[in-house]
Amino acid sequence: MSVNTAPAAIEVAGLSRRYRNTTALDGVTVRFAKDQIHGLLGRNGAGKTTLMSIIAAQDWPTEGQVRVLGHTPHENEQVLPMMCFVREDQRYPDDAQAKHAFKAASLAYENWDWKFANRLIRDFRVPEKTKVKKMSRGQKSAVAVIIGLAARAEVTFFDEPYMGLDAVARQLFYDRLLEDYSEHPRTVVLSSHLIDEIAHLIENVVLIDSGRVLLDEPVEDLRDRAVTLVGRSDAVAEVTAGREVLNQESMGRITRTTVLGRLSEQEHQRVRDLDLDLQPVSLQQLIVRLTTRQSAARDLNDSNHGHGEGEK
Amino acid sequence: MTTPTGRTDRTLQPQEPHRGKRSAFARVPSAVRLQFSPAVTLIGVPLSVFFAAWLIAVGIGWWIHTMQGSGDSSGEPMFTGAAQAPLWALVFVAAYSASHTFPFSMALSYSRRTFMLGVILAFGLVSVAFGAAFILAAWIERVTDGFGMHFYTFNLPYLTQGSGGIVAAGALAATLCLVLMMVGFFWAILYLRAGLFTLWVIILGLAVVGLAGTMLIFQNDGWPVIWEWIMQQSALSLTGWLAILAVGLAGLNYGVIRRATPA
Repeated sequence: MSVNTAPAAIEVAGLSRRYRNTTALDGVTVRFAKDQIHGLLGRNGAGKTTLMSIIAAQDWPTEGQVRVLGHTPHENEQVLPMMCFVREDQRYPDDAQAKHAFKAASLAYENWDWKFANRLIRDFRVPEKTKVKKMSRGQKSAVAVIIGLAARAEVTFFDEPYMGLDAVARQLFYDRLLEDYSEHPRTVVLSSHLIDEIAHLIENVVLIDSGRVLLDEPVEDLRDRAVTLVGRSDAVAEVTAGREVLNQESMGRITRTTVLGRLSEQEHQRVRDLDLDLQPVSLQQLIVRLTTRQSAARDLNDSNHGHGEGEK
Repeated sequence: MTTPTGRTDRTLQPQEPHRGKRSAFARVPSAVRLQFSPAVTLIGVPLSVFFAAWLIAVGIGWWIHTMQGSGDSSGEPMFTGAAQAPLWALVFVAAYSASHTFPFSMALSYSRRTFMLGVILAFGLVSVAFGAAFILAAWIERVTDGFGMHFYTFNLPYLTQGSGGIVAAGALAATLCLVLMMVGFFWAILYLRAGLFTLWVIILGLAVVGLAGTMLIFQNDGWPVIWEWIMQQSALSLTGWLAILAVGLAGLNYGVIRRATPA
């Protein structure tokens, strides 16, 4: 696994957030490299929104430190204007229409681009005369996405931005994000559990589960961690023998197996000789398997050391 | 970099400054404008209530006047309490600012301090506008002898006939407006900060304290003293007391919002 040497936009060290009965984050240490698109992945309730809230200074940690662009963000007007985090369940002023929300955002962010915003408003077909509170889930998500994109904040969080968006609007969001990011590079943290859908966008994966970081790795390295082989069952079995199987499906004499680890040059030759197909690994599948494995190992470890109780 | 468990401790090193230092108050004007977006909440609604309440009061006055027989302009003056109607509208508008505009301000990455300064300035502007409207309305009533019917909503003798006249009454109206808006904001932001249970505990606690205070005053025959104190006050001195209260409430609100979360 390679080390991400790019300078950090966000550094989080030993971060915990405990509520009365739950631990939302538990000793999270992670860094988000500058000017990259990061996928913050995890199941519902894993702690994704809490982590983004604390980084964006909307919430604060019970323990630990956060630095954004070298500054502590809490109540810090030096760094806050460079961040944008519209929550998935964002509340807007009571009578506000979308145009009021955009106008307010344009006043808050000095990089706000009205031309881009207006294009997005047309693209997403955001109704101008409807109050935001009366909008459908998808329309609300579109308002949040437009603020996030047009603000061009140095550090932008998107909190499950696909909620309620149809397939066309989701694709539109991914396309516009990539287009604008290539022209105006910035640090983007995209929280999602639709892993495969954002796999082509993200350069780095941070996976959290039960408030802990399970994985923090460049997508490229992650993909190299496993390989999928398709072909005659006996031939697939020969090449994959002795490896940890992440997934296996058989249909008649054809088997599709995903195993951990890279193939050596000799194994590649053998794959060609046996006429097997090498397929890209589904990031989602890989992450699901790794999560399950690591969660199980961690739970086992916790119960062995007597740390399991009292955390949840 | 991979930290599979996320347990590795790392010391955070400050980086190079990323751009020139900006003023901590640079976004205060934007935070003020945020309160007026949309303008209907903080301007349209109270203004409508102001004129609607006045119109209804004058309508009732006209009805009473005609019932008593037209042409009789020497009757006893009548006073109404309709001037306070916009204040109650503003209490709710102020509460909305805490419950809705505050979470939105977090999405726009305002610090709580900047947001609160925006709130104080915006509420201050609205209060001054209310005070000015009060003065104007009291003046109209004065020069028209209560629309020729001796019917007064704003030109109330206790407020307008002391030193400073209707201007002092306007100042009192403005500070009362600011205090009430701060109170409306306080309860809503307290709810965001502490939740419903704590909110009710505090409400009940205050009720108990209020009740105990009232009983103590009764026990010590204190009411005449308090009543006398109130009667001795002028519009200007009341303005002063309310101004102190408004400053206290602004500080209290900042104390509460510092640890309030938007959701």
